[in-house]
This record gives sequence, structure tokens and C-alpha cells, in this order.
Amino acid sequence: MPKLREILGHPFWQAVALLVAAYLLFKWGIAVLPPLVGFPSAPVPQSVVLQYMLTALVGILIYVSYNEARWRRFKEPINATLVDANKRWLRATLLVLVPALVGFVAYDQSRPKVSAPLQLRSIHPAPPGQITVRGRTIRLAGLENPLRSRGTIEEHSREGRRVYYQNCLPCHGDLLDGKGHFAHGFSPTPLAFDDAGTIAQLTESFVFWRIAKGGPGLPREGAPWNSAMPAWEDFLTEDEIWSVIIFLYEQSGWEPRRWEVEERAEGAGHE
Amino acid sequence: MSRVVGWKEGTMETGLIALVMVLAIIPSFHLSAQDIERGKAVYEKWCTGCHGDTGAGDGDAAAYMLPRPRDFRRAVYQIRTTASGELPTDDDIRHVVDQGMPGTAMTGWKSRLTSGDRDAVIAYIKSFSRFFDGAPPQSVDFPSAPRISDDGIAEGARIYGELECFKCHGDRGRGDGTSAPTMSDDWDFPIRPTDLTRPWTFNGGAEVEDIYRAIRTGLDGTPMPSFSDVIDAEIITDEQLWRVAQYVHSLAPGRPRVREVIRAGRTARVPDDPTDSAWVEAEAFYVPLVGQIIVSPRWFTPAVDGIWVRALHDGERLALHIAWSDPSASPDPLWQEWIELLATTVTDADGALEPVQGPDRFTIQFPARLSDGMARPYFLGGDRRRPAYTWRWRSSPDQLEVGTSTGLGQFVAGAGAASDVAHQAVFADGQWQLQVTRTLIPRDTSAAPTFAEGVAIPIAFRAADGSSGETHVRGSVSAWYAIYLDAPISATVFVMPVVATLVTAGFGLLVVWRAQRREGTRRFLPEATCDIFSSSRCSDSWHAAAAKLAHRPATRMLVPLSSRSAAPRSPA
Repeated sequence: MPKLREILGHPFWQAVALLVAAYLLFKWGIAVLPPLVGFPSAPVPQSVVLQYMLTALVGILIYVSYNEARWRRFKEPINATLVDANKRWLRATLLVLVPALVGFVAYDQSRPKVSAPLQLRSIHPAPPGQITVRGRTIRLAGLENPLRSRGTIEEHSREGRRVYYQNCLPCHGDLLDGKGHFAHGFSPTPLAFDDAGTIAQLTESFVFWRIAKGGPGLPREGAPWNSAMPAWEDFLTEDEIWSVIIFLYEQSGWEPRRWEVEERAEGAGHE
Repeated sequence: MSRVVGWKEGTMETGLIALVMVLAIIPSFHLSAQDIERGKAVYEKWCTGCHGDTGAGDGDAAAYMLPRPRDFRRAVYQIRTTASGELPTDDDIRHVVDQGMPGTAMTGWKSRLTSGDRDAVIAYIKSFSRFFDGAPPQSVDFPSAPRISDDGIAEGARIYGELECFKCHGDRGRGDGTSAPTMSDDWDFPIRPTDLTRPWTFNGGAEVEDIYRAIRTGLDGTPMPSFSDVIDAEIITDEQLWRVAQYVHSLAPGRPRVREVIRAGRTARVPDDPTDSAWVEAEAFYVPLVGQIIVSPRWFTPAVDGIWVRALHDGERLALHIAWSDPSASPDPLWQEWIELLATTVTDADGALEPVQGPDRFTIQFPARLSDGMARPYFLGGDRRRPAYTWRWRSSPDQLEVGTSTGLGQFVAGAGAASDVAHQAVFADGQWQLQVTRTLIPRDTSAAPTFAEGVAIPIAFRAADGSSGETHVRGSVSAWYAIYLDAPISATVFVMPVVATLVTAGFGLLVVWRAQRREGTRRFLPEATCDIFSSSRCSDSWHAAAAKLAHRPATRMLVPLSSRSAAPRSPA
């Protein structure tokens, strides 16, 4: 135990422990811990981890050098490794391993790598102000699902179910998880409606635009050349599209985003 | 209901008999009305789209699938541990509900429905047929599998021939047997014998046990019989049936990993034809194909659902080798019956399928311009702004066209000299092998793209089976993939790591040397080198030196903690 206390009290090992803890925190902690208390989070990209680590390193160096004695104690193990007789094997091992590691990293960086050409795309690109569907011009801003103000939701949902199973199922799947029996053939893979980041975040008018115009109607940042989403205006009537939208929300249990909220949040951003 | 009616109308005796019968039936349900309600709710939300409100397998999506969704009213189930003609056990049904049926549109529900919901929906599914009212079915006892061996697999291959499995599944297992064109299921829908080289499409699963079960109990409702009677008649033993299952399992690897980049390895000289042995050694890349369901007429039941791509180049020419299973070299008169049955089965949502066979087709496309930044032609045959440089092969007459495509079926021949591109196609044992070869630099560089080494070039594929009425539009398609021509490895790849290693090692030695000199121990490089790589001979002097160091007063330098503890034992 005294040995452990000595190690814990030693600035060098404290610095090492802090560095390891910082790395674990940046690499996994940020992604894993906030969700445990209900906050959404995401993994930190490697380049950002590197930046954070540099900052942490500077902080740790300040900590170990804030007085002369501590700074000297901090350097002791380093110095010992460099000169001590009984550290000869450690020294020799480091002198072989570190250059070998550097050599390997250099090889890994310079060897030819086979990777697919980069394809960046925006998943929810900004919609146009208006679209023309089957010869009729429709203004998207403020547009509501017209079926919600006539007939019953059950009726529209039943019709939407027919439309979905005859058209959408092969890609978007029974489970609305974007894993239908044809989904594996396309890249990007079809959207999962059970995901909190798709239709749950969108207004019905946005979904209407995406269905009516499909992949070919995407702006350039949406990489329209890769999308397998058909332009459904070629196959479905306006009412069929609105009914399948009702089915999507009924079947997934999500609520569409409403315009009131949207406009308050984003002002005239959709003009 | 009929029993209840009998009780009302009949005498006391018949009434009593009916009561006894009803009482006998009730325990086999193990179900309350509440469970049925729950099962009905689950079924109506998730299952009716395919299986229909009344369980008849006639939901909205039914005509858009092949095989069709199960008709529960007839209680005929493919995947069973029970004897042929028997009902499945609850566990058999649960297996399919949980895992889904590979090779069909049936998905696995384990992730979506709770265990209780799945139990309830299984009970509800069974309620579509009175056959389940009787005693619960019993599983067949399967003896355990013999250990897999080369001899065992050879034995399995022999039994495969003896049982005439090849009549449907073909000599090489590709589902191209002589009976294949005439197959239909119990509902008179066309059905293909399973392609045994594609285990990821086996309806009941691809493990040896799954294959054994399918052979032993048969796939009821399909032409696949049970081979239990062959064992009962002592024509073959149970162990030999296991050998067949092991042989079938050996015909193909597991589900291939799909990789986005197809590598064209560098070779001294590219092969001349698709049967060249060099192709066997070349790395094979699996590319899944799915139905073209994007532009009219859509095609929901594609015949070709995946291809194997191999690529080689020799610095002068690029050769592509494509292999895919197809039971016929179309058009083939034997398959006329098949296409006629297919035409009456598949949906006519985008126009009826004409029962006319065309040739088999295969299309390979690249961007016409490779210098377009991130932008590419539309993956489905290109578009007017960005056309696709396209190779279109057809089997009959055997012909390859080179041209530019601005959409599916929008093809104009002539992108540079067609003589740039050579091809050869071979059909054997239910498989097409197609080789296409072109010079890396086309004769007219303004008309066709140049294939440069060391960059990923977008590439996409389409296939069509003429005997299934497929065309350029009705067929199967792939997403964009990429092909990468291996470049000669430059010298820097090897020089850089060596330089980096040497510089780092030198720097390390310098640091050690300086630190030791600062200690004032007059130990210069030779001794330091001795220190680093020493055997016990030099270590003695070092221990002595360290001991001396440890006892010197630390005025200018620090005595390391660890050397202090090492000091006392060093003089020994």
C-alpha cells in the first residue's frame, strides 16, 4: 500500500493517469456518459480527440511544473530511464520499440490505400419554396396535410398502408427500419422511419416533397445521383402520397413537426 | 361452429359428444380470448400488408413478391421439425417469426415485437386454420450429425446423385436441373429450385442442421419432398442424409461481405477468356443486385440477385470477369412454360409482363467523365447532364455494344471505337461467365474515359434473365461501386518508414547520450551503446558506476529515485 501511495503521489504517474483518463473520457466517455442521464451525445471524431488531448497535455504540464520541486520530481523517472544502470533493459526496449512504431506509422501513412471516393451528402437538404407536382404548383412553406381536415385518420391510414406495401416496402421494410428485402442493394441505404432523426424531425410538407420528387429531385448537396428513391409523382397521386404520409406517422408512432413551431424557431427561413 | 350447430339441433347424446369434443380441444389452445385479441391487434398492424386480413396470403403486397406470402388458412408450412404433411410446432413457427425467411420478403420480428406479442400473434396465425384444433404436432427425432470430413462430403456428393437431387438443383447445385422450368408450388405459383451455391437465400437457414431439416422433413407446399421415406425404406441411412446436407453446405461460402471497392490486381498479362485459370486465383467481389423498382415498368421479382466480379490489369488492358447464376441461356424453349406462369403471377401495376423470352443481358457502366469532382451520373443508367459510358452485352446473338447512356434504356451506341472493347461469354452448369477487356487508354480519349491506376473509378452493374421476361428496364440493378486498379508501389513507401525509424532511433540515442553526459559520468557513446545492448559482462561495470553515482552528493544533478534503491545490491 505505501508503494501504491507513493506512485499515486508522484507527479509523473499522476500525469500519466490524467492523460489516460482524459483519453478515455474524450474517446468514449463523451459518447457514453451523457445518454446515461438522458442527454443525447455522439462519438468524438479522431481529429478532435487529438486536439483535446493536446489541450489536456498542456494543462497537465502546467500542473506538474507549477513549482520547482514538483517539476524535478516529475522528471525523475524520465531521467532514471535515460541514465540508470538498472533501467538498461527498459531503455533498450524503448529505443527499439519507439522507432519501430514510428516506422510502422510512417509505412501505414505512405502505403497506397484502397478507399471508395468520398461521397458527402446532406440527409435533410433545404426544401425549395415551391414544387410542381403533376402540373400543379404547390407552395411548401406552411403546407399542411390536406387529408387531416377531411375523412378519418383510420380511412387514410388504411389507404396509406396499401400504398406503402405496394410501393415502399421493398426498401423501407415491414419494420419501417429501412431494411426491406431490396435495401441492401442501394447506397445510401433507405431511410429508417423508426429512427428519431428522420420523419420525427420533419414537417409533412417536407416528407411530401421528398416522396413526390425522390432522389432525382434532390439538390446537388443531397447527391441525387446515388439516391434510389423514385420520384413518386410518376406513380402516385397527390392524395396517395398524403395518405402514405399519414400511414408512416400512424405506424411509427411519431408526430410530424408542426409549422407553428417551425416558424417560431426559424423565422422566414423557408421562404 | 359446425359442432355447436350439431349440439343445438341434435339429441342429448350428440350434445354430450360435442361437449366432450369441445372440452378436449380447449386445453390445446392454451389461450384466452384476451390473447387472441392481442394477437389480432399485432397481426392487423404488422402482418396484414402481406398476409391479408383473413390470413389468405393475399395482402396488398402479395402480388409484388415471389415467393408469395404464406396462406395461413391451409396450414401448410415449409419450415418444420415435424414429418411431411404434419403441422409445424409452435417453436417451428416462432423460428420463422423471429428470424424471418432468408431469400424472401419475410423479415425477422424479434427486434420489433415483444416475446409476448410474438406468442400472441403465433396463436392468432394458427386460429386461421381448424387443423390446429387437434393434438399438438410432434417433432421428428433427428439423430446427431456425423463429424464433417472430406470423405463424408464425397459420400454426400454421391448420395446427391443417387437421390437425383440434380434433377431440380442441377449438377453443380445452381438450381438449373432439367425439371427447373416446370416447377410450381401448391398454389400454382412459379417457384425456382434453390440455388445451392447461394446459402444466404435458403428459406430455412444455411446451417448444416437447417439443410438437414429441409431434406429430412421436406418443404411442404413446394416441390421439395421429404426424404424420410427413403430412410424408412432403408435405401439410404440417416447418416448418409447428413452427408448430403454437409455436401450442400460445402458448395458455397457463407454470406459474402460486400465491399465497396473492387480491386483489379496487377498481373503480367490479362487472361484471354473467362475460363482461364488465372480467374480462379483472382480475388472475387460479391455485388448484390436488386429489382429495378425506380422507373416504369418496375420489376419486383428479379431473377439475378447477385454477381461475382473479378478484375485484373496488366498496365495496358483492364479485364473484368463477371459470374452469375442463371438456370438458362435465354431464350430457351424449355422455359416458355415458366415465363407464361410468371406472367400470370407477378403484378401488372406497371403493365402486364409479356410472356416472350428475350436474351440474357448484362450491363456495365462507368461515368463518361471521370473528372467531375464528387458528382456522378445517376446510378440508374446516367442522366442527360452526366451520361454513363456503358457496355451492353446480350446473349443471343452474342454481342457487346459500347455507347453512352442518359437513363435506363436511353442508350446511344458509339463511345469511341467499339473495337477497343473485347468480350467473351461462356454458359455452363447454370452459370454465365463474361469477360470484358479494354485498353486502359481508349483510342479516342475524348469519347471514352481513361482507366487510371491508383484511383477508385465508379462502376455499376445491371443484369436481366430473358427467360423471366427481363429487359433493359425490367431487371436487376446495383448501386455505384468502385474499381481500383492496383498501381506499382513507389519506392517512397519503403524508404519513408526506414528513414523515419533511423531518425527516431538516432534522436533517441542522442537524448540518452546527452542525459548521461549531463550526469557527468564521462560515459560516451561506446559505453552507452554497451549499456543499451550489453550482456552481463558490461553490466558489472555499470552497477559499480551506478553505485558510485548514488553516493555522490547531489549538487548539480538529481539522483533518480530508482537508482537509489538499486544501489545497495549492486556491489555484490
